Amino acid sequence: MAKFMSLFRRSTGSRELRRQPLFTGMSWLVLVFLYAPIAVLVVFSFNDNRSVVRWTEFSLRWYAAALENDDIRRSAMISIQVAFTATVFSTVIATMAALATTRGGVYRGRAAAIALINQPLMIPEIVTAIATLAFFSILRQLTGVTGIGWLILAHTVFCVPFAYMPIRARLSDMSVTYEAAAADLYASPWQAFRHVTLPLLMPGVMAGAMLAFVVSLDDVIITLLVAGPGETTLPIYILGQIRRGVTPEVNAVSTILIGLTVAMVTLTFFLQRKQK
Amino acid sequence: MIDVKHVTKRFGEGQTAVTALGDISLAIPEGSFFTLLGPSGCGKTTLLRLIAGFELPTEGEIALDGDSIGHLAPNNRPVNTVFQSYALFPHMSVARNVGFGLEMLKRPKAEIEATIHEMLELVQLGEFASRRVDQLSGGQQQRVALARALAPRPKVLLLDEPLSALDLKLRKGMQSELKRLQNETGITFVFVTHDQGEALAMSDQIAVMSAGAVRQVGTPEEIYTAPQSRFVADFIGDTNIVNATLLGFDGDKAKIRFGEGTPLTVQTASTSLTPGAVHVALRPETIDVVDEGSDRALLRGAVVDSTYFGAGSQMLVRLDDGVDVHVQVATSRAIGARVGLECDTSMLHVLED
Repeated sequence: MAKFMSLFRRSTGSRELRRQPLFTGMSWLVLVFLYAPIAVLVVFSFNDNRSVVRWTEFSLRWYAAALENDDIRRSAMISIQVAFTATVFSTVIATMAALATTRGGVYRGRAAAIALINQPLMIPEIVTAIATLAFFSILRQLTGVTGIGWLILAHTVFCVPFAYMPIRARLSDMSVTYEAAAADLYASPWQAFRHVTLPLLMPGVMAGAMLAFVVSLDDVIITLLVAGPGETTLPIYILGQIRRGVTPEVNAVSTILIGLTVAMVTLTFFLQRKQK
Repeated sequence: MIDVKHVTKRFGEGQTAVTALGDISLAIPEGSFFTLLGPSGCGKTTLLRLIAGFELPTEGEIALDGDSIGHLAPNNRPVNTVFQSYALFPHMSVARNVGFGLEMLKRPKAEIEATIHEMLELVQLGEFASRRVDQLSGGQQQRVALARALAPRPKVLLLDEPLSALDLKLRKGMQSELKRLQNETGITFVFVTHDQGEALAMSDQIAVMSAGAVRQVGTPEEIYTAPQSRFVADFIGDTNIVNATLLGFDGDKAKIRFGEGTPLTVQTASTSLTPGAVHVALRPETIDVVDEGSDRALLRGAVVDSTYFGAGSQMLVRLDDGVDVHVQVATSRAIGARVGLECDTSMLHVLED
């Protein structure tokens, strides 16, 4: 979560800090501990050997094996289906919430509303997961409805604050004069949103959607508890495989996931920069 | 014709409420270039936003050609605004910006195209139609903003300090351009500024505002030569304000005297002032410097500063009661010299406080 938060902070003047002794050493140490394990995982996904500790030769065989594995393909499809749907819903909800908290004027309880939207970020995920499990069990019994909808609903809910952050940031930076100008030029509130606010907000919406997608794709704890039979997502499948020891096949799938995540976060970063 | 009737605007509630406008009434004639002039915080921009519909009056009514518009949303008023920051839509071309109003009004495509073309020609930006707005200079953006606001042919065009972001040379050019546009279109312009030079140069009528109230409404000449109050005289430029004693009234004229001098009959802003100490406006260009002993001298003092500016000199004379007076002269006197000041008494003007 911290890595996402840091995306929204503007860099502060760090020239002074850089001159402090140990600064460079500490930075490298932290970076190595953060990324060395990932680098090892990525390297050994290309290893032509069953071992994940001894390098022999470069090969793509584990990628081929992973792609041919029906379980992996099925769980990847479920992951994408859940992530995509949850992203669409959570982004729409987050956009409405951001509009209400930046364009609705000053009203009683606005600060509380913002805090409530962001609060899920601070609650331990296991708590949310157990609460969701219990709550959904009741709802499932009451309604008799089953299926993947519940998982999508759970993902939508925890994705909202992630999508909300960049959208709200963009809206706060955006001058309300554009909307005033649109209204002045005979645009109804809907027309002003459609032709002026939304196009100008788009970089924020895209950034929010991508964060939501990545967060949904990555999720384990809530999914583990809420997902029903036949709703195994990719992270859950990997977790299951790991119990039988780390295989290069898992390395290959993880590498693909990392690649996807990095691409998303990078794109988000550039979208955020472009809007400045 | 815009009728502002007893409009009050308060921001906030209860104890923390701030009154931006207090019971203002104003009639803005149709087809005129009308300026709201005043220092920042005087309420001029609030009044503009009330006419545009971005704010609603706390009390009072605003009527346009007899129809009450004070409660309408901005998109339902035949009024367009040129914003101080221009607020051009950055994601649209120049042409789409200009056509936006008509597009929202769902006018036929052909009419929109023709109007865009006509408006861009009017502001001399014909060849810039397909440009992005961030490829234009500040002066060009300004003219696009004007074209965009004029395109729907509003009854009233509101201009919120539109020239303040331009450099001096560009500003002078835009002043005459705005005046020309107003003449050509015949649309009522309501122009907000804190620059009295701009106001005097462009306006048919000026309303001088301070602290949420209208202090005086008149033509530039009336405001300049016959300021009613000390505030207006002070704000409108380099007028000298000197102390005098009010003796009484003679019809619509006031009888005053400076110090122990002879009584004079002069113009006055009001005939309901109480006799005693008053302030009198004295324009620098109506003053002649004479010898201290001359019996034509109305005021006496010593030269404390003198600035040569080519065509003559500007002298600063400190009167015996300590008030400083600016005087324009052809040949200046030595600093420290005692002088007398004579002036055209028909140009003297007693002020309200």
